[in-house]
Amino acid sequence: MNKISYKEKIYKKRGGWVFNIYSYFFTLALSLVLLLMASNASAELELHISKTSSDEIPIYIANFAGGASGIIAADLKRSGRFKIVPHSQMKPRISPFGGSLNAGAYQKVTDYIVRGKQVGGGDLQIELVSTSDNAKTYFRITPNINRRRVAHKAADSIYEKVTRRKGAFDTRLSYVTVINKATKNPTFRLYIADSDGYNPQAILSSRKPIMSPAWSPDGSELAYVSFETNSSAVYVQNIFTGDKRKISAREGINSAPAWSPDGTQLALSLSVNGNPEIYTINVRTGHLQQVTHSSAIDTEPVWQSRGAIIFTSNRGGSPQLYRISSRGGKAKRLTFNGKYNSAADIANNKMTFVTGRRGAFQIALKSIGSSGRDILSNGRQDESPSLSPNGAMVAYTTLRGGENTLAVISDNGKSRQFLKSPAGDVREPAWSPYLHQ
Amino acid sequence: MTTKTLLIIPMLISILALGACSQNQNDKGAIGSNTGSGTSKTIGKGKGGGSGTSSGTIGRGGASGVSSRDGRGGSRGGSAGGGRNGGNGGNSASNSGDITLAGLNDPNNLLSQRVIYFDYDKASIRPEYMILINTHAQLLAKYPNLKMRLEGHADERGSREYNVALSESRAQSVRSIMGIEGVSGQIKTIGYGEELPVVTGHDKKSWQKNRRVEIKYDGH
Repeated sequence: MNKISYKEKIYKKRGGWVFNIYSYFFTLALSLVLLLMASNASAELELHISKTSSDEIPIYIANFAGGASGIIAADLKRSGRFKIVPHSQMKPRISPFGGSLNAGAYQKVTDYIVRGKQVGGGDLQIELVSTSDNAKTYFRITPNINRRRVAHKAADSIYEKVTRRKGAFDTRLSYVTVINKATKNPTFRLYIADSDGYNPQAILSSRKPIMSPAWSPDGSELAYVSFETNSSAVYVQNIFTGDKRKISAREGINSAPAWSPDGTQLALSLSVNGNPEIYTINVRTGHLQQVTHSSAIDTEPVWQSRGAIIFTSNRGGSPQLYRISSRGGKAKRLTFNGKYNSAADIANNKMTFVTGRRGAFQIALKSIGSSGRDILSNGRQDESPSLSPNGAMVAYTTLRGGENTLAVISDNGKSRQFLKSPAGDVREPAWSPYLHQ
Repeated sequence: MTTKTLLIIPMLISILALGACSQNQNDKGAIGSNTGSGTSKTIGKGKGGGSGTSSGTIGRGGASGVSSRDGRGGSRGGSAGGGRNGGNGGNSASNSGDITLAGLNDPNNLLSQRVIYFDYDKASIRPEYMILINTHAQLLAKYPNLKMRLEGHADERGSREYNVALSESRAQSVRSIMGIEGVSGQIKTIGYGEELPVVTGHDKKSWQKNRRVEIKYDGH
């Protein structure tokens, strides 16, 4: 897209100068030179992470009982928008929650101070103080069976107050692990964990591959692919009750389910007619509709809106991203940089995808509608990017010590954390939507 | 031309040949016993049997000119052609007595070879596998109740779901060639993507071993 717009610009600019054949050729040569320069410039630009979000905001989080302060600090740091000020820099020492605080005295060290305490009924009370104007904000978080969620909710409140954007720490990740990979007895497990990797719980175990977990928009169901019957099938499983139902087990591949924004349909890739194509299927009625018609591979659909699907296709000779109406029609190519662009995920008007660069596969991020893209990761085999619902973080997998590991990188590239996960090779993280309770 | 140069050329050739041979030894998938080596030069006795430099005409499959053009998986095809058909003209190419269920588990029979390897991000069949695929198709034609699964696989590079589709396309490619014998109805394809690698390495050699279609027969 970049290149085309450059071409158009140059053509228009020079168009008025064309008097005769000589100046035409001169113009052509000049255009070519300019084009080369332009494409070189854009190639260099994309190596830099854009400064779309402001610099990291210094914040001090006082220790308080229950371990919540450490969880809050880790959350805020992972967003790439905060710098956690160490205790040693806070002199004189901060008094506990309720004690007097001269916030202005710390203005050189930090922009914000957070204090907290457990109050009656198990609530967590949080105080956020701005050191520039001494403004105080109070949050009260109600208890939860999962105690860590209380801290994640507190981190969301702080994040929202300071950045004026919705926080996404109190969310979940789903992912697949495999142990005994490349042996006769591999075990695949489908997990759900908190967004920081804690509290992993297996909801499915199989000797055959499990793939492609996808959250329903209300966060109560997961669609996934299982090979347990010696062929692929798409299932939908309720994460609270464990109830599961088969959605598609047609001949050939049943792959890559993606929920429509209203939760009524799944887009998926089927080869029931001999070639992998994108279809939509109504989750309740089973009504099937073919979306793409090509002789190439069409897969990895994701909904940009109720009416538009972005997918991967090699119809142009290599895997690239395309957009098509969810009712079918003509597809529009979206990616032109490099020979491999695939596996898109979309949240909050941002799109992340895998991009091939000099033999490596890395995670790219762009705003929908803009032509530029940022390369976020720097591994050799980074894959399966999934955006947090606020679009501020990307979960993906990267090779570390020969195994795929779970990592989260902030959209500004400033923070990257490896997440804890159960033993084994980890793949295909899927970030949940916002939780409803 | 000096004698020095004359000496260097055969030396270079033997080094290249040895290189091809050592590649063979690493290809544990190749089983052919190389009973007739045709025009190929066999140097050393690699586990792979078929020599990487073999070339010749394959009779039945319609493909001609077997060569290890990339030194990666071609040697397997070489063993397929060389091991069974031997000589130049594809003599004994159609000994239908060989195409039996018993042949599936006879290491000297081409039917015992059940893996087809692919190029990166490609589902097209390398010419050297045509005869192997055709021989399996003839087995299906001979036993109409026999069922086959073609299990496609991809290497770890690129996205997982794309690799599922790619591996399915690989299995479909094999099926469509077998379809010439009218046996498509006996064949089921499965695309496993990169989920079931045979080796875990992150290098070219491992990737080649994982880009494959496995031929499986129910009960055999």
